Amino acid sequence: MSVALVALSLVWAGFIAYVALGGADFGAGVWDLLASGPAARRQHQFISRVLGPVWEANHVWLIFLLVGLMNLFPTAFATFMSALFIPLTIALVGIVLRGAGFIFRTHASQDKSMGNRLWSRVFSISSLLTPFFLGVSAAAVAGGQIRTSGITQTDLLTGWISPFSVAVGVMAVAQCATLAAVYLTAEAHAQGEKEFVAAYRLKALISSGLVSVLGILCVALSVTAAPWLWSGLLAHAFLYVGGTVIMGLLVLVMLLLKRYRLASLFVILETALMLISWGVSQYPYLIPPKLTIEQAANSPAMITTMLVALLIGMAIVLPSLFYLFRVFKWTPIVTPEETQAQ
Amino acid sequence: MENLLAARAQMGTSLAFHIIFSLFGIGLPLFLCIAEGLALKTKNPTWLLLARRWAKASAVLFAIGAVSGTIISFELGLLWPTYTKFAGQVVGLPFLLEGFAFFVEAIFLGLYLYGWNRLSPRVHWLCSFPIWISGMLSAWFIISANSWMNTPAGFVIRNGQITDVNPWQAIFNPSMPYETIHMLLACFVVTSFVMAGIYAFAFLRGKRGEYYQKGLLLALLIALIATPLQIFTGDLNARFLAQAQPVKFAAMEGDFQTENGPPLRIGGIADPQTGQVYYAVEIPHGESLLLYLNLDGHVRGLDAFASQDWPNAIPYVHLSFDTMVGCGFFALLVVLLFWLFFWRQKQRVIERRWLLWGIILAGPCTAVAVICGWMVTEMGRQPWVINGFLRTSDAVTPAPWVSFSFLVFVIIYLLLAITLIRLLLGLMRQPLPQVQSLVETYSMGLEESAGV
Repeated sequence: MSVALVALSLVWAGFIAYVALGGADFGAGVWDLLASGPAARRQHQFISRVLGPVWEANHVWLIFLLVGLMNLFPTAFATFMSALFIPLTIALVGIVLRGAGFIFRTHASQDKSMGNRLWSRVFSISSLLTPFFLGVSAAAVAGGQIRTSGITQTDLLTGWISPFSVAVGVMAVAQCATLAAVYLTAEAHAQGEKEFVAAYRLKALISSGLVSVLGILCVALSVTAAPWLWSGLLAHAFLYVGGTVIMGLLVLVMLLLKRYRLASLFVILETALMLISWGVSQYPYLIPPKLTIEQAANSPAMITTMLVALLIGMAIVLPSLFYLFRVFKWTPIVTPEETQAQ
Repeated sequence: MENLLAARAQMGTSLAFHIIFSLFGIGLPLFLCIAEGLALKTKNPTWLLLARRWAKASAVLFAIGAVSGTIISFELGLLWPTYTKFAGQVVGLPFLLEGFAFFVEAIFLGLYLYGWNRLSPRVHWLCSFPIWISGMLSAWFIISANSWMNTPAGFVIRNGQITDVNPWQAIFNPSMPYETIHMLLACFVVTSFVMAGIYAFAFLRGKRGEYYQKGLLLALLIALIATPLQIFTGDLNARFLAQAQPVKFAAMEGDFQTENGPPLRIGGIADPQTGQVYYAVEIPHGESLLLYLNLDGHVRGLDAFASQDWPNAIPYVHLSFDTMVGCGFFALLVVLLFWLFFWRQKQRVIERRWLLWGIILAGPCTAVAVICGWMVTEMGRQPWVINGFLRTSDAVTPAPWVSFSFLVFVIIYLLLAITLIRLLLGLMRQPLPQVQSLVETYSMGLEESAGV
């Protein structure tokens, strides 16, 4: 196994972490958007409370992904960024407005002010747009739709749009929503919010059903739209795809059995296997059908140095992250004041 | 707007916005750490009340710093793909390490901001250390990448290919110590003066009490330490630039001609067409004295270099430099006067309204100084993005819609800035809660700290 492949595997692991954690925060924004009626405000507060302590740490996985790609695979990064200028710029605007909208609505001094309501909407709408355009961009790469050289204006304008990339974009939103719904069910259960448990459980069931339908559609479209992906899937990734399907089913089973912690675990595994299936299907290309992983990689000496840095960095970050989640997520303390505040 | 100009404008706007807001993300956590530490040591709840107030502001500022930093990481690729291809091969390490430092900062900030009731006071205080340490580290890493763009090192170009890369030499490039220390100090100078300005304003409005006094004194104490050091390191920077980046140095001093014993030209319009600096105040032999402690030192002017390598905004580089220096000395004067009067009159110093106004004014002045300093660094390096190796015009994206994206981002930044300032003003206007004990201060406003 070459150092480039090791490096890509680590970047991919960061990608999985971003989707499983950061993606769920976008999904929560989608549910925030869909919340309506008299309970909407309480739902918004619930979502704010769950996201508050962790969303920034979750967001940093994206930074990890960006700097990892830029410095371990500089050629690929430069190509993504120039060929996907439009969808990535839109996603960037979404990322910025999501974060700003969330922080502004959380810290606004008056809860019912006009500005607060507006930023709340900005938060939820950008939570929907961002995963869509990131999904579209990812699909454009997987489908071999971006050129590594000689990019024309038409390529930049419409090269990334296809039925396949749009389907993947929608599926990305659905997957984020599923992740969020499952986590929020578990969170509501842990906090004793009975009414939210039932509501999010139903949402989780519906959205994971939607993911299955979209998943089948995307794979069917890939036969013609992403032939390299499809042949790679048949050749060496069908085991992972099978694993993804099984994990998806286990999520449904656990939701029906009301085992929410296990449902959270399986939805993370499902997400991980889904992304691993994609990566393995694409092998050995980083940008099919031209640029392989080895061609896109930095010099082996540089990669080795950065891998060492990566290991040291992770040795500091992972225990810290574990501590953060232990304090806020796995041992919920509901004090009397908190109950009153609700 | 031409694509290159639009891309530079978008990058410049993004950097200016990011620098201003994220420097508080580096400066404020140290204040949090000191104030909470003092609270635990002295059992005085006022210190903790200060920390709790500042923590709320940090939450907002850090989040905005984080999103604006994300914009920069994307824009490096979106606007300058060729640059990332080059830089990624050589100076990737500090970018990667910056990512980790930022990670640690975000994690412990989450613990700190939301953990007032969930952690013991001591553990909570300890959580403030990783925040300011990794905040400073992440600034150090990212500025070392910038200093590499000014004095590239750690690689060889052979047959048009980058080879013999040494990532450590790239990080420890010649201008790294000068740039990083100058900017780290700047974080504390700006944070302390802006905070001092807020309390000075409260005193002007007739507010009195321990809370405001402690806030003002701590802020001006940090300012007293950081400001002279900042001016000293600024001087080191200028001397270094005269050797390492003589073109940038000539542009910032407005030296068109190579001279022996050049005067110090303060202000004025440096006109590259005529090679003259109009309306400047000239101090004979001043520049030579500052550089060499000698009346007739030899200083290379812009005429010693090919005009295609001149920065294309020489008048701005010169004026930005002088504005930075002027603002810095104004801040130094204010802080020295304050402590002089404090030494002689103790608490009555706050009755001097002109001094309070001076403190209020020094806050924005230091922020202006930081932006001007970066204008000198970045505009002074033009036409290069990687000095001597890659021209900015060769690094820009082929996508032709940068004018449009520039417009979009300007609107976003305006919206963010307006909302952020309104929000911070709202936080400041909230009445001070009456607290008697440390325990009470730790557990106050649970619903607020839970983010509801």
